Amino acid sequence: MLVMGEVHTGLLQNSGEISESTCRQVLAITAGETVRVSRRPIVHALSPERLTGVDCALPAASRSRVRGVGTVVSRCVVTGGRVAQGSSYVRVVRSEADRRLPWSHYLARPGVVEVLGKAKAADLAEGFTGDPAPGCLDLGAVSGRFLDLVQGSPLLDRLAPFKMSRTSLRWVAETGEPSIRFTLHSEQDRTLRLTHPGPFTPAVVDLCEDLATHDWLLTSLLVIVERARIGSTPGAQAAARLTPAIDHLLHLWMPAARVEEWLTPFWDSLERRPGFTRQWHSLVNRVRDQIATNTLALLSTSTEPGRR
Amino acid sequence: MLVFAISDKGGTGRSVTGTNIVYRHALQGNDVCYLDFDFGSPTAGAIFSVSGVSRGTRENGLHEYLRAECPQPRRVDVWAESDREGLRMRPPGAGRLVLLPGSEGGGELSALTDEIVGRCVQLFGRLDEEFDLCMVDVSAGRSFTAELVLAATVRMPTVPFRWLVFHRWTRQHIIAADGLVTGADGLLDVGTRFGHDADDLRDRIRFVRTAVLEPDASELVGLRDEQRAWLSACDSELRELAGRHGVGRTAMLGKIPLDPVLQWREQLITDEDVLASKIANAETAAAFDELAKKIVDDNAWEGL
Amino acid sequence: MTSVHATFGEVAAERRIASVPLSHVSVELGHLYMEDFEAGPERLREQFRRVAPWLATVRSLWGERVPGGRARVSTCFLVDDYFSRFSTPDELVPMIVDAAAEHDLTIDYLARESACARFEDPRSGGVELARLVEDRLVDDPPQGTDGSRPPVKETGWLCNGSRSPSTAPPQAMGKARPWEPPVQNAKRGHSIFVDVELWDEQGPRRTWSCPFLAAVWQLLRLGLLRSDGRVPLSPVTVRDGWPRDWDQLPAVVRLDPQAAPFSAYTTLSVLSPRFLPVELAVRTILSQVAVDDEVLRQVAGRSESEGVRLEEELVDRISYVFV
Repeated sequence: MLVMGEVHTGLLQNSGEISESTCRQVLAITAGETVRVSRRPIVHALSPERLTGVDCALPAASRSRVRGVGTVVSRCVVTGGRVAQGSSYVRVVRSEADRRLPWSHYLARPGVVEVLGKAKAADLAEGFTGDPAPGCLDLGAVSGRFLDLVQGSPLLDRLAPFKMSRTSLRWVAETGEPSIRFTLHSEQDRTLRLTHPGPFTPAVVDLCEDLATHDWLLTSLLVIVERARIGSTPGAQAAARLTPAIDHLLHLWMPAARVEEWLTPFWDSLERRPGFTRQWHSLVNRVRDQIATNTLALLSTSTEPGRR
Repeated sequence: MLVFAISDKGGTGRSVTGTNIVYRHALQGNDVCYLDFDFGSPTAGAIFSVSGVSRGTRENGLHEYLRAECPQPRRVDVWAESDREGLRMRPPGAGRLVLLPGSEGGGELSALTDEIVGRCVQLFGRLDEEFDLCMVDVSAGRSFTAELVLAATVRMPTVPFRWLVFHRWTRQHIIAADGLVTGADGLLDVGTRFGHDADDLRDRIRFVRTAVLEPDASELVGLRDEQRAWLSACDSELRELAGRHGVGRTAMLGKIPLDPVLQWREQLITDEDVLASKIANAETAAAFDELAKKIVDDNAWEGL
Repeated sequence: MTSVHATFGEVAAERRIASVPLSHVSVELGHLYMEDFEAGPERLREQFRRVAPWLATVRSLWGERVPGGRARVSTCFLVDDYFSRFSTPDELVPMIVDAAAEHDLTIDYLARESACARFEDPRSGGVELARLVEDRLVDDPPQGTDGSRPPVKETGWLCNGSRSPSTAPPQAMGKARPWEPPVQNAKRGHSIFVDVELWDEQGPRRTWSCPFLAAVWQLLRLGLLRSDGRVPLSPVTVRDGWPRDWDQLPAVVRLDPQAAPFSAYTTLSVLSPRFLPVELAVRTILSQVAVDDEVLRQVAGRSESEGVRLEEELVDRISYVFV
């Protein structure tokens, strides 16, 4: 019927970026399961997947009672040794039975939630990206806990270079005529509606995680620039507040680097409107200009005659 | 950084001092939050002048969160939701100021379960990612709440935390404050039982004296010489007592002068209260401001 | 310029899952505890005498089921060296083999129970099979589980429903709650609530429970465990005599070099009825173990290719005879 997921993204709680080998240890959340790491074009580490059992109402825009039973798939992601994510999703399908089956039935279908009774995909999609009632499937809570798992790792020193809120991206993917809709809600909440050709594959999850990473980067850079109060604080002070962005964020921007080819048009269309990379570059230029101006000012004061 | 505010007895001005420190810290450009863990009487909302949560919140309060009755606790953005004109605009350069209210009609925790500690760890961990300072109002005296935060901080060894013990400048309060820290079933005793290192924990505890009347204060000008001499003798006696009880100058982070405004109404003291309406004393605001700096100043927290 | 299709691969980013050779059925001929050993060789002979007809039955049933009649049946025997240590391999193994031979039974594989907890692998060092399984437990959710809170866990326990809620008041001066019964999730009318202790800990030392190790044992026999994609435990042939120390004995020993593979599509255990509660616990655990779906696909693909239809659910591939 449809796939729903939620990604939570935050700054990895460590003073510097962590190495590939530390990534492996931090993400080793299941004994005997390998952490998958790719190094090009940016170090990207994926934990093994884990399941969480659910039996609850699914969010429906019509507020009709729809019961779903099954398992949520979750994983943790660390990008560039710096950005951490907890990511969960379920594939919603109609149940062939009209009652709950033995648990082993659902365990044999990891990541599938079976709907008992009637439900419309559009109703669920609206409900999930709208305002789900309490007591409905809460993928955000699951993802939040997986992100906690990374952030609470004893291998991290928790001396993050700056404080930053987590962001949440709630997404729904369906098969159909290609379209994508990305919506900013509050400061931290985003939703994504995606219609893709052909059947669902985990590559869609990769796309959503990639979008969430870049949206978080952009949001964080905006916050840092705002905190620096360029223009209303002395240049040196503003520059000092911008430094963490240069040290920790600017090199992480690599949109669609890990997105499968058939999904790149979705990224491309978001680049046209609203234009993530355009905004990113404009912010980066602002940061660099500010630092450059401040450096020039420092140089000119230190070379002033008689000041040595 | 997590800061736990506790007091030996009720009525020390713990909550009003804690909220004022947090407020000043936000004005200094930091993102801060205040957690009302005073479960028996969650009234921090009143001090921030957020009338909707003046006695706690009806939904998604911290009690409900800890008892797993709601997924996330409610957050109140004080800059947006306060009823006080002077607070409703975030001053330029100020950080976020967020209140996590307790539950209306909530009571003290009746027991400590592993699940509650786990949820507390989750809450502290997430807030620490987001805020420069999280002040937790732990209520007065020995309580399950104090146990809860001691148990939670053991589980998160890399998250920095500090304790502020508030007490008034009287004989009973000095003795009680010392007892709360070093006595049987006190913070150090219970803390080590949960797995804290006693010396490390002691280094993270400082005292704050509240409602202090200095013998040379301007309020005392009208006093007779005999009264002043008596006050002065009392003060030195108390200082000697405090020294003996480990509550002396070295273990003290700061003191808040007696201010009529705080005696009659628990509220945040804004610069407007000092400069425009002049209802509050400049010394009081300065003391809060200094504490707000000292609380994160490692020099003030070097080993005793 | 024409566009160039680039392919870039990174080995570390891909997942590889090894496969194991599989019989049709793995038959457990017995399970030896200290009390059985103390009861003398007669107890063992009695066990094999009861088992023999069932093994014959299984062989003929599978012979009918498998196209061509060439069913692969392997037999195994488990010795407890975890909860108590008794005798030595050089004394015990020949005794077991001889007692079985008296009833024309061949034991193909002999395993040590402690290997289900942890064993030393010459290549990869200590392998903790029990941890592998523990990390794959997915709790059976009671209705109303929406993911908003972590699964309600009593550390070291696993149940098939929801436990009685606490009756203590949640806050000081609050009301106490009346008692409510525990409820089985998949109940039919009335509950059969099962709560299984998986392990206990004294200080740093964890002792796994007998049902938990038995669940690991079943998964091993079904060939469903992997560690970093590799098969964690393969049977070893012992050539230079039986050691005097259990730790020197390989985790699973191949006694008959011609034997069908140790792991199998299905298992059958012939046990004394006193193991009934243990096996109920084993099923409770196994019905909450999420086996790697890649491994499940391998097994399903293989069985289909040789015309054997397997039960979809894991617990349905396990059967018992209690005699």
